[in-house]
Amino acid sequence: MHKAKFDYHRPESVDAALALLQQGGKALAGGHSLIPVMKMRLAQPDALIDLGRIPDLSGITDEGDSLRIGATTTHTEVNQSDLVQASVPVLCQTAGMIGDPQVRNRGTIGGSIAHADPAADYPTVLVALGATVHIQGPNGSRDVGAADFFVDLFQTALGETELITAVTVPKLAGGAKASYQKHRHPASAYAVVGVCAVRSDSGQTVVIGGASATPTKVTGPMGTDEEVMSSVAAAITDPMGDTYASGEYRVHLAGVLARRAIAATA
Amino acid sequence: MTVPTTPDTQTAPASAEQRVNAGIGRSVLRPDGIPKVKGNFAYVSDLQAEGMLHGATARSPFAHARLVSIDLTPALAMNGVKAVIVQDDVPGTAMYGLEHRDQPVLCDGTARYWGEPVAVVAAEDPETAKHAAAAIVMEWEELDTLDDPEEADAIDSVFRRVKVRRGDQDAHGEVVIEGYYEVGTQDQAPLGPEAGLALPDGEGGVDLYGTSQWVHADHEQIVAALGLQPDQIRCHPAGIGGAFGAREDMNLHIHCCLLALVTGRPVKMVYDRAESFAGHVHRHPARMWYRHEANRDGTLVRVQAKLLLDGGAYMSTTGAVIGNATYFAVGPYKVDSVAIDGVGAKTNNPPCGAMRGFGAVQSCFGHETQMDRLAAELAMDPMVLRRLNALQQGDPMSTTGQIITDSLPTVDVMDALVAMPLPDDTDSDNPLHLPGGTGLTTSRSHVRRGVGYGVSIKNIAFSEGFDDYAEARVVLTSVGAEVHTAAIEVGQGLVTVCAQIARSALGLEHVAVVFDDTSSIGSAGSTSASRQTQLTGNAVLEAARRVREMALERIGGDDLTDAGVWRNGELIMSLDALYDAGPIEFTARYRHPATFEADENGQGTLHAGFAIAAHRAVVEVDPELGLIRVVRIDTAQDVGRVLNPQSVIGQIEGGILQGVGLAYMEELVIQKGKILNASFTDYLLPTFLDAPDVEAILIEEPGEWGPFGAKGVGEPPTISSTPAVAAAIRDAVGKPLNRVPILPEHIVGV
Repeated sequence: MHKAKFDYHRPESVDAALALLQQGGKALAGGHSLIPVMKMRLAQPDALIDLGRIPDLSGITDEGDSLRIGATTTHTEVNQSDLVQASVPVLCQTAGMIGDPQVRNRGTIGGSIAHADPAADYPTVLVALGATVHIQGPNGSRDVGAADFFVDLFQTALGETELITAVTVPKLAGGAKASYQKHRHPASAYAVVGVCAVRSDSGQTVVIGGASATPTKVTGPMGTDEEVMSSVAAAITDPMGDTYASGEYRVHLAGVLARRAIAATA
Repeated sequence: MTVPTTPDTQTAPASAEQRVNAGIGRSVLRPDGIPKVKGNFAYVSDLQAEGMLHGATARSPFAHARLVSIDLTPALAMNGVKAVIVQDDVPGTAMYGLEHRDQPVLCDGTARYWGEPVAVVAAEDPETAKHAAAAIVMEWEELDTLDDPEEADAIDSVFRRVKVRRGDQDAHGEVVIEGYYEVGTQDQAPLGPEAGLALPDGEGGVDLYGTSQWVHADHEQIVAALGLQPDQIRCHPAGIGGAFGAREDMNLHIHCCLLALVTGRPVKMVYDRAESFAGHVHRHPARMWYRHEANRDGTLVRVQAKLLLDGGAYMSTTGAVIGNATYFAVGPYKVDSVAIDGVGAKTNNPPCGAMRGFGAVQSCFGHETQMDRLAAELAMDPMVLRRLNALQQGDPMSTTGQIITDSLPTVDVMDALVAMPLPDDTDSDNPLHLPGGTGLTTSRSHVRRGVGYGVSIKNIAFSEGFDDYAEARVVLTSVGAEVHTAAIEVGQGLVTVCAQIARSALGLEHVAVVFDDTSSIGSAGSTSASRQTQLTGNAVLEAARRVREMALERIGGDDLTDAGVWRNGELIMSLDALYDAGPIEFTARYRHPATFEADENGQGTLHAGFAIAAHRAVVEVDPELGLIRVVRIDTAQDVGRVLNPQSVIGQIEGGILQGVGLAYMEELVIQKGKILNASFTDYLLPTFLDAPDVEAILIEEPGEWGPFGAKGVGEPPTISSTPAVAAAIRDAVGKPLNRVPILPEHIVGV
């Protein structure tokens, strides 16, 4: 179907975008999630506020212990960034596994996390890495940890009149290693299940995506393969299923991929 | 790829015919190939007519429900809506169906399957038509949904029961193998959706350009449903983007014609992808119980089976499909004691009908899995066991008792396959060479390889007493000749083969194929059952031979070329002059050897011809993740005589991909009669990335009635490739896996 009618704005500053947002409408970044749901008329915003011409929102900067990635930075830019490759290689790898080249050339990190698709790749990895989401709204700016940002299925801590401006990702320091293992859906390329394991001085972190509404941190013991399988199963309390993969199969996949991700960080 | 490039001298045509460059035996290019690649080919969905309206369909949201009331006024009130039609508006019988006219043109007050058309709308543009269809208010009372074919069988809700009893029913072997098998609902999933353009002729009649596999069958049903005279409807062959059986039954055709008659304007309808899944028939899902008995030396003693295929809500071709499943339930094997019961159940599931392989696909998965298990039980090589029991020319069919007089190179096909080299092991960690593909999902260390075999037999052309014929006309023109036919080119290459046959028979290079509508030529029969090369091919061959004779006789010539008629090496009349002297044309109608209905025990001469294929699959599996990659399919196929090597290989590769899809990907997920995955995101098909390497050996033992000995080649590749892949997966993971498609979760066993 065709989209319902809407107004279109293309502000050139964050302030101008925020001013427009106060009047209603939805922020548009790469459009790979929003435009399809508008075509299906699952979303019918009165106005689209295109963030594509706001220079401050795009680009990757080195902030010492961390990287700041602007909200409209594309997956391809992250995938091809020497800076990201040198300090958080798992993020390069993840960006390169999202969708297909067209999606990676248009899709943005801010758009991906604002949409909060449970089958997206970035949320899992950002939660595992302990990233911070920078938000700006009518009353100023605030920071939210990635683990707190994803609230429920397609729901985040972002208010309707707020914008994501950037994501800060801590560098993997002192021999820390991370691995993202994904079973991609054969047709959509979304993560049926994606698992990110991070091994650092402070220990082993494992986060599961695709199996539940939001990224799920595994908390139980993970010393042996059997422990990984049972801790992962225990962490996924309400697994999602569809015609391709049942909840049970997703839990199984999460366990196997967690073992492989942990092994890759050894 | 192993293909012969020189014609077989024994059956080669006479000298004048051998001179033709683009005749039989050559990989002549398809006339529609380049236009299709360049996007210039007109598929039905591309057709336009001045002032045309667009149709849309309102459908039942329930699998079984009573239509309490329907309010069309919100649709009729919309700007741009020209007509809304329900069943009461349909003149004539208002019923249609391929075997039996049991389906109302629109819902008759009770919806019997999910997505059954209830009303159709014509409007100025497609969006308005869709919105208007959605605006129709329907009040439903849900009824009990019969979605379990076993329950349907128990309460005798069936379209057809087929019984086969042959030989000593008390015979027993030393070894018994019993098994239960299931085949999920595969969809033909043609890329080109259902489409039609109906043009009113201003005199109460219509010209229809629709997606079809048999325009004369469409014509007969449309005329009856709408209460028109035969000459008031003309069905035109049109550009088809894939059929595979899905175009045998009509869907939007009558709707389109009626909207055109009511509005007096051209009406176009095109289903979108989701609607296409609901709007055409599917491959029957099957439940099968098998019992094989054999002696310790491997000789089959008795085969018993019950085959339950779910036909869904309307009959379509369920009668013929369950017939095929039953008569080919044993496979290409000799056994003297047989008892098979086939049931085509009637339920509230989506209607099922024709799909490539037509019943033989389902039972092949059953009998081939049984043969593998029997071989394992006897500690025999699975192909040695098959060869030991191979059915051959001169044998009686194990089910029907029909003596096979046609060529049947079962042993040659098996031996050729077994002799093919297996691919080397690989240590490639390129994601493209690993299960799961480019997602970096697995690595070589997690992958296991397996090898499996499948062998199949299928009938060629229509069976069980059906009067199966094809008409074709060859017309001499001033520059060459035209072949006229109403046979449908669905992408398989009939257009090329018809021209090749005509060239070889006429001795002319300039031959064009013209697709005529139902008013201009007699029926060519259905483009299905692997029959057109043999049926229409033979009609073209006869017509072309007669036209050549007529041309030579007219002025006493001894040779015909594109230049004209020759006598003693001298050109005596140009083709142009010959044409000016009066028309030369011949219309031929070819009937294959007669078949007959079976007796009460399923015995008799039911089939006109047979073809054998064998497949060997090599797969790689990550058993922990349940992911599969089919590395390679080797095949040997009984093709009679190769008329176009490239087309034959194309049919083999395409058919194998459809068989591979059924083995581990393709299934409509149906819950309480409702299709849950009606999209190409959720109904998984093999893509080029999933396509295995294919090596094919073509076994040429001429058939008894195909043109130049050719046999149909379209269906056999689909039939035994599925069990071969399933066997290879079992070999890799060591699990029984009695159901296809084999999904990741079946492999990991959750």
